Amino acid sequence: MGLAWRNLCHERTRFAVTLCGISFAVLLMVLQGSLLTGFMRSASRVIDASDAEFWIVAKGVACFECATPVPARFREIALGIPGVIAVERVVAGAAVWKKPSGKSQLVYVVGTEHGAGREFPLPYLSGSEGPLKPEMVMLDESNAELLEVSGAGIGVEINRRQASVAEVISDFGSFIGQPYMFTTYRDAVQYLGLSGEDVHFLAVHASTGSSLARIQSELQSRMPEVNVWRREEFAWEAQTYWTMLTGAGSAILTAAFLGFVVGTVVVSQTIYATTMENLEEFATLKAMGASRFYIQRIVLTQAWISGSIGALIGVSITIPLVRLVKQSIAWVYMPWWMPVSMVAVTLGMCSLAAIVSVRKAVSVEPARVFRA
Amino acid sequence: MNTCLSTDHVSVSYGSGAATVRALRDVTLDFRPGELTLIMGPSGSGKTTLLSALGGLLTPDTGEVSIMGTTVRGLDQEEAGRLRQRSIGYVFQAFRLFRSLTAIENALVALEIGGVRGPRALDKAKAALEAVGVSHRANCLPSELSGGEKQRVAIARALVNDPPILLADEPTASLDHASGEQIASLLRGIAAGARRIVVVVTHDNRWLERGDRIVEMSDGQVTKDSGEIQ
Ligand SMILES: Nc1ncnc2c1ncn2[C@@H]1O[C@H](COP(=O)(O)OP(=O)(O)OP(=O)(O)O)[C@@H](O)[C@H]1O
Ligand SMILES: [Mg+2]
Repeated sequence: MGLAWRNLCHERTRFAVTLCGISFAVLLMVLQGSLLTGFMRSASRVIDASDAEFWIVAKGVACFECATPVPARFREIALGIPGVIAVERVVAGAAVWKKPSGKSQLVYVVGTEHGAGREFPLPYLSGSEGPLKPEMVMLDESNAELLEVSGAGIGVEINRRQASVAEVISDFGSFIGQPYMFTTYRDAVQYLGLSGEDVHFLAVHASTGSSLARIQSELQSRMPEVNVWRREEFAWEAQTYWTMLTGAGSAILTAAFLGFVVGTVVVSQTIYATTMENLEEFATLKAMGASRFYIQRIVLTQAWISGSIGALIGVSITIPLVRLVKQSIAWVYMPWWMPVSMVAVTLGMCSLAAIVSVRKAVSVEPARVFRA
Repeated sequence: MNTCLSTDHVSVSYGSGAATVRALRDVTLDFRPGELTLIMGPSGSGKTTLLSALGGLLTPDTGEVSIMGTTVRGLDQEEAGRLRQRSIGYVFQAFRLFRSLTAIENALVALEIGGVRGPRALDKAKAALEAVGVSHRANCLPSELSGGEKQRVAIARALVNDPPILLADEPTASLDHASGEQIASLLRGIAAGARRIVVVVTHDNRWLERGDRIVEMSDGQVTKDSGEIQ
């Protein structure tokens, strides 16, 4: 029996207000959630793109964008440890990019060696294999306009050195304001004005089947001056650094939480108003012998119907909206579970919002039926 | 089991201290199946309070109310609810229909509370509306019904579970003369037909000829009882 549904439909305007409030809350939560997920994902995007088991990182460095030298000889030390099959040198740093129009733009040059990972952007001669092309750079499509790059083959200037664009890639949008500029280790050393042996990170590959825990502890004990992190550890460090230490994460989380609060308040207001309006009917139901459970169920069903419909509307607005936002904020990322979990959060929010109303409805005196 | 409803030295008071109102004082009554009992008396004499006590909606301060052999005192809220659901139908002056539900759905709610659902419930609800002569208005909302029709739907809702007891507080006070007459004879028939206990609180002297028994109240006490068991 749809007493809950009928009560909602009886007050169409209020129902519409409830749905607007819930959709708005869902929109806010999914959007902020996508910002946070995207932010965390891009905070460790470069690290995750490598398939090295370990990263050797200077002490005190907690993110890829804070590149700091580590001793070059550590590469040989690492290679000497049983189970280590390859070590790539990585350098990174800011450089000035001269746009064709003559304007300058700071970029973050990332240079690494052959073998860093199949996903790791490197200017190979063919596909993701074979020798590397010299004096070539790769940049993300989201930065192409800013850098005035119309496509592959364009000649450019980085820190007064010539280079050309090998490829415009996707999904490597930077969130720090400086576009990533991927190139080979050799060229990056040149662009950044480093000396031939300088290294900022070492990406260490272990042979399959070897004990990663053993290799990690051996690496660490041989090189106590640096941190030897599993790739996931470094990724996590970078994510925490950017989201927590910079305050960006808390700002986003606060906005998401506000969405939750706004939603809860709107839903509780309208559910409460509906409940108060139907208080006499709840008294009648009680006089007729309805159980607490029966009455709770009506109020909760009202909340859940509002929640489900509101969440569906919210999600269906948010999905295209996130696509739109992605055009200006390239790193926004909405995994499939984000809208799905927000529907669950919304139902929880509506249950929370219904608590006061449920208590009001179940505690109504049945004896008042003869008094009104 | 035999249909039975009784009060035994029941007293009810509202408020406390100096503001205490003694709404019922030592009321002892026994109701018989098949009889329509009228409760009459001036305003404030305790008629509604008596009906609430008889309906298990309040627990007396002293004395006992017994509904179908079960003493109300000592029941928790849920047990009292189940007892009311099984035993009693209520009819109110202000109808108290569920305003967002149609006539037939109002009856269906009463069945649902009693755990009856599906096609069987639908048949029963239809039959109940039929019995009070409003089956042609089954799909109307309360706002689309006349006063008399509303009260008929309310009676259908009260009777759809076939309770042995029907309690009505001023059931015709909100109705015009003709509808009032019809509702009165409807309730008269309900008492006689199924050997129910029907208790009607009323001010309206037109009921006098329809009552099998008349209980007069004043100041919380029974002052006259035409059907007192000697
Ligand atoms: N909830 C309550 N709180 C306080 N006093 C109450 C309450 N309900 C009833 N009373 C008082 O108890 C007394 C009996 O009231 P009751 O409603 O039973 O009278 P009644 O005979 O039904 O009157 P009426 O004919 O006006 O409906 C009255 O004095 C009334 O003011
Ligand atoms: Mg009264």
